[in-house]
Amino acid sequence: MKTLTPEQSMYTCVRCGACRGVCPTLNITGREADGPRGRVLMARSLLEGEIPVNQEIKEQLDRCLLCSACVDACPMDVQVPDIVMLAKEQIAAATEMESFHPKTLRLDNSQNDMKTTAKPVRGLKDFLFDKVIADQKNLNKVGNLLWMYQKSGLQKVTRAVGILKFFPEQMQQMEQIMPEILPPKKRQQHPEFTPRAKEQTEARGRVAFFQGCIMDMMFRETNDNSIKLLSKAGFDVVTPKSQVCCGALHHHSGKTDKAVELAKSNIAAFESANVDYIITNAGGCGAAMTEYEELFRDNPAWLGRAKKFTEKICDISEIIYEKGELPELVGRGERVTYQPSCHLQYVMKVKDAPAKLVKSVENAEYVDLPEKKYCCGSAGIYNMLQPELANEILDRKMEKVKETDSAVLITANPGCYLQMKLGVHREGMEKVIETKHIVDYLVESIDRAESKR
Amino acid sequence: MSAETMARPPLDKEVLSRLEEIFGKDRVLTNQTDLITYSYDASFETQLNPRKPEVVVIALSTEEVSECVKLANEFMVPIYPRGAATGQTGGAVSTKGGIMMDLSKMNRILDIDHRNMQVIIEPGVIQNDLNEALKPYGLRFPPDPGSANMCTVGGMVSNNSSGLRAVKYGVTRHYVLGMEVVLPTGEVIVTGGAKSKALKSVSGYDLAHLMIGSEGTLGIVTRLRLKLLPLPVTRGIVLCSFKQLEDAGAAVNAVFSSGLQPSAIEIMDFNCTKAVNMMKPELNLPIDNEAILVFEVDGAKEEVSSQVNRLKQVVEKYASHIQFSDEPEECEKLWQARKLVGAAVGLLKPGGFRVYGGEDICVPISRLPETLREIHNIADRYEIVCGIYGHVGDGNLHTGPVVNSNNEVEMENVQQMIDEIHDLAIKMEGTTTAEHGVGIVRAQYMDIEHGPAMEVMRAIKRTLDPNNILNPGKMALPN
Repeated sequence: MKTLTPEQSMYTCVRCGACRGVCPTLNITGREADGPRGRVLMARSLLEGEIPVNQEIKEQLDRCLLCSACVDACPMDVQVPDIVMLAKEQIAAATEMESFHPKTLRLDNSQNDMKTTAKPVRGLKDFLFDKVIADQKNLNKVGNLLWMYQKSGLQKVTRAVGILKFFPEQMQQMEQIMPEILPPKKRQQHPEFTPRAKEQTEARGRVAFFQGCIMDMMFRETNDNSIKLLSKAGFDVVTPKSQVCCGALHHHSGKTDKAVELAKSNIAAFESANVDYIITNAGGCGAAMTEYEELFRDNPAWLGRAKKFTEKICDISEIIYEKGELPELVGRGERVTYQPSCHLQYVMKVKDAPAKLVKSVENAEYVDLPEKKYCCGSAGIYNMLQPELANEILDRKMEKVKETDSAVLITANPGCYLQMKLGVHREGMEKVIETKHIVDYLVESIDRAESKR
Repeated sequence: MSAETMARPPLDKEVLSRLEEIFGKDRVLTNQTDLITYSYDASFETQLNPRKPEVVVIALSTEEVSECVKLANEFMVPIYPRGAATGQTGGAVSTKGGIMMDLSKMNRILDIDHRNMQVIIEPGVIQNDLNEALKPYGLRFPPDPGSANMCTVGGMVSNNSSGLRAVKYGVTRHYVLGMEVVLPTGEVIVTGGAKSKALKSVSGYDLAHLMIGSEGTLGIVTRLRLKLLPLPVTRGIVLCSFKQLEDAGAAVNAVFSSGLQPSAIEIMDFNCTKAVNMMKPELNLPIDNEAILVFEVDGAKEEVSSQVNRLKQVVEKYASHIQFSDEPEECEKLWQARKLVGAAVGLLKPGGFRVYGGEDICVPISRLPETLREIHNIADRYEIVCGIYGHVGDGNLHTGPVVNSNNEVEMENVQQMIDEIHDLAIKMEGTTTAEHGVGIVRAQYMDIEHGPAMEVMRAIKRTLDPNNILNPGKMALPN
């Protein structure tokens, strides 16, 4: 658990500037307010009532990607994303709630010029978060609809008619890079137990697989491959049926109650799985679950259980590199590079495992991506909310990708995957660069080796 | 906003529109949120008294800088040049509103001229980024302040910064061959020979060296020509602890007179040792002592091994405990103790934060033990916990008092303690600042340290900057 609360952590910043070199937005604009140190100062001034709640400060804070690169660089462990979130929550509370009484904070709400969000928009957001993402059955139905959209020819029709041009540019592009949804019959429940591939040798461990919400609907094949890969690497894999969404999106948008509810369900679901590790294949989910303890700071009954749960969280690349034993992997002579997931490298602190795994593939060449420390600009739905800055970040990222002259661009998180695919699409390089989740790349390399035997 | 900020009439509207013509709308910032973020550097002083500029500009070229300075002269508006604002002196903040000029985006490495052992860069390049770019050529830019990860080379030149390897490799000043600089009236000159690529020159007044350490009061550096050295092949570390401070002092003397030339000699007092052990218990530093010394030697592999052995023999007589290595991994581990100390001292007091004040004094090496004891006496009198560490090889001590920001008595006491430490430095035939600079926080000591020489400095300032445009209110120059 973090030793300091966001408020305490805000006051330990000595403005040394160690965070300046890793911040993707500061790197683009050079403006202090677009860097971590500036954000801490703005949040502090806001929470102390020195600057009023208004559109200006809200817009400025919204530009933070919350990628956590600054926390990793900070010698004092100042939790910049938490501080930014705290400030944003307070702005939202001051704007949305009719009777707003800040307790410990001294917000100046006299010049608040922000409009409250229209009720229907709030309603839609609540519906999406509470009823869709958090509910596997409903999410499955959405998956069916998307599959129908793609398969029925409707996608072709909408593209041909050009109806999409009435949507914002970002959404048009996203529509085009959306992965192909597997048909309903291929999206059944995962088997609850998958034994290690070589049952004659001793298991490398008993692990549970965390399937995620959107991940399991949109990237079902990657999830299937993850279970297969773990099994090939010598693990017995349990996939608990009662698991739910990690709650990251709820937590990040201030819906703490729902986040706590989801966390409790997951803790209970994985306790009964009786495993050594809980494996994630999405940096965002993994990072959120390593922070479950934060949700139970004041709840001793659950804190211990949350601690045991978080200690078991492990990224798929890390567990395979550290404890697994992969069969032969063969490439097709391609050059490969890797864009890390921020939550994976900065929150889960898994920095090299994916690259090391790629390096173990025969007949493939790994090259380091220059400036891989910078977030790709996906950051949840950042690219929808801050299209201009996100595009600049993405363009710069693609410049670096092109420098490596790679044929395969590896990612380790669905958000990064979509963003990189979008970048490749924008550059018109779909035929040259293939975007792949690390798991899919490794499974393909194993299959290739097996078929050659 | 501090009182002195408003001593000038507010900025003319025409200044803003002309700035927008020079820089474009996107790089002229007047939002309150932006101004707040530019009212600090890393100093304790700006934490107590942040100072807002009236407008911030982000410069990208020499032409923009020059145009802006000319405009400032026309309207008599002060300009404050700023790099990464990692300084501890308030040197990069506004004192009288005016224009804050952010130079951190002028960060291109223009020419790595490896055959001539030099590099040409813009001032916003980060020290570490420069060295990363030089690595493939087997070269480096040696001055290495603790903030090398974040400070700009322009800022290093303006403050004549150095770090823990100054004992062998000197300070920033020793590596500046020439520079392009925008004078306080807007003209652009190149010092060190306008077209020269020579590594040595005695032609004319050395204007570059007048600019170095002038803290942005005499010109704005827009381009730098720097001398490079080859990368050392390898290094070795000897870490030893001493029962008494005086033993540590004697050990340093013995090392120097033995003919050894360490690349760093660092001291950490017992509080620093305690703090590092708190941060990284696995380092398990010996604690029954008054000080730890960390020696670093560098060079070719065989050389380093023999230097480590000789060093060990020399210090054995004085030290109670010795660890050493010439293996890269083990060296890195031993070196961690020194690397972590700056951040670790904050742990000496739960919930406290480390104050940078009285943090950069320098005394003759012979008076180090005495000075260290005296600083602890001062701290005890004010009941403030502090860790002291520093570059013992050149007598430079960093004091780190730790206080609680909501304890008013402590906040008051620590400021008095800082003044006493500065007075002590002068009493010990030393200086108040060895590598961080003067800025706002040490201006009051300038006359004491320099006597009549201070009038010469003021005359130079008046000659080059008749309208007092560049970074006014710093270094006790005319305000």
